[in-house]
Amino acid sequence: MKRRVVITACSAITPIGYKPSDIIDSLLQGRSGVKPLRDDGLLTQHIHSRVFGTVDYPMDYGFTRKDTKTMGPVAFYACQVAKDVLAASGLDQEFITSGRLGVSFSSTHGSPTVQRNIYKTFFSKLPSEFSSIGAVDYLKSMVHTTTVNITRMFGITGRVIASSTACTTSSQSIGFGYEMVKYGMQDAMICGGADEYDTTTVAVFDNLLACSVAYNDRPECTPRPFDTKRDGLVVGEGAGAVLLEEYESAKRRGATILGEVIGFGCNNNGGDLILPNLDGITTTLRLALKDADIRPEDVDFVSAHATATKMGDVIEAQAIDAVYGGKPLVTGLKSYMGHTMGSCGAIEMILTLYMMEQGFIAPTLNLETVDERCSMLNHVRKITKAETQIAAIQNFAFGGVNTCLLIANGRNAGV
Amino acid sequence: MNRDELQEKIITILEDDFEFSHPGLTDNLRDDHGFDSIDAIELLAKIETMLGFQLARAEKEKAMSIRTINDILDYIEAIQAAHPS
Repeated sequence: MKRRVVITACSAITPIGYKPSDIIDSLLQGRSGVKPLRDDGLLTQHIHSRVFGTVDYPMDYGFTRKDTKTMGPVAFYACQVAKDVLAASGLDQEFITSGRLGVSFSSTHGSPTVQRNIYKTFFSKLPSEFSSIGAVDYLKSMVHTTTVNITRMFGITGRVIASSTACTTSSQSIGFGYEMVKYGMQDAMICGGADEYDTTTVAVFDNLLACSVAYNDRPECTPRPFDTKRDGLVVGEGAGAVLLEEYESAKRRGATILGEVIGFGCNNNGGDLILPNLDGITTTLRLALKDADIRPEDVDFVSAHATATKMGDVIEAQAIDAVYGGKPLVTGLKSYMGHTMGSCGAIEMILTLYMMEQGFIAPTLNLETVDERCSMLNHVRKITKAETQIAAIQNFAFGGVNTCLLIANGRNAGV
Repeated sequence: MNRDELQEKIITILEDDFEFSHPGLTDNLRDDHGFDSIDAIELLAKIETMLGFQLARAEKEKAMSIRTINDILDYIEAIQAAHPS
């Protein structure tokens, strides 16, 4: 059984906005969501990179205590975007609780904020701290906390997939959700990922010399994917969710079709856990094309992973060139908000859907002088009118995990 | 702490931390206020803080039969009696 899989709702909380109109406006205006790193009283003073892709606008969640007692900050993000997609989808409660809707969603760490509070108690000598490890701290911080807080909040009884693979967390979540629906295991899936504000991740990448440090006084000027003056990634926070549905049932109920997932490629480099791998990435892009049964020249737009690390961007550019050549438009969307870690694949897919719907492609921000090793690509340098039919969303993670999702414009899904 | 003082403290905790609305002493905690096993464990942590000492495992397990606010008060009084210091 192979079924078509369409996207019928999406929502993202990003450093450049939450409402679709705000996000689109940020893309059109070239507005960055990278801000100074907040002092956490613990790690910040030891970190060289002082920038972060920050969600600094107020969120009105409206959750009750019954909902929130098992939720850390990351689950607030996750449940909000899941709530949004369910509300936008128009799916009825009977279907939501039928077992035919599943959840494929996760985060990189669970909740580092809650984990940090747990560890604090071990270093405290105060007798009053003896009971400060809350009974629900595990539920708030476990790695699948986002996934099961979503199922709990909405009474979802279908399959649960919690793929926690660092930067490919949400792209794998969407890919695995797509396969669930495509092969008839579920009729619909809420897919995506989230990660909360966390200086631990910054410290890790900082120690690996992978973080941007040269623009601490000008946060909006970094990251700089493919630019000669790029100096590393910027960690960020956010969440993204898409609702995937089997095409025939979505059409039958009159759902709005935003796009169609037509292919998914995923593999592992089978070796080094950090270094980008040209063979591994190239193979992933080709696996996605094969899954979609389309030709490389059918792809109009590539949302590159493009973290702005020295070598990562070069290897990715070589892979794009080897598979697609110089035809498709290429943008690194992390230039607007940094690397939102477990949520980046979902957010970049959602931004791509917005741009598809609006008929434009945003440029890579801060791309002033293209690194000559990346110059063979068709980089988007300014707002470009484009009727994108097929887009590729590429993501690569520590651990050697590579993903590529291929999506088609929703306008074509009816034919 | 006498029973009246305990009652006032417990009701304050239930209203402030567990969002109980108009709690009655004989209300069924689960059916009337949605109080579940996670809440029970959280409440035990708050009772420990209030009493100023850690409860033994066996004492905590006895709390699982609590159904009403009166049961909570009976439970705490029994704990206090067992820890006279």
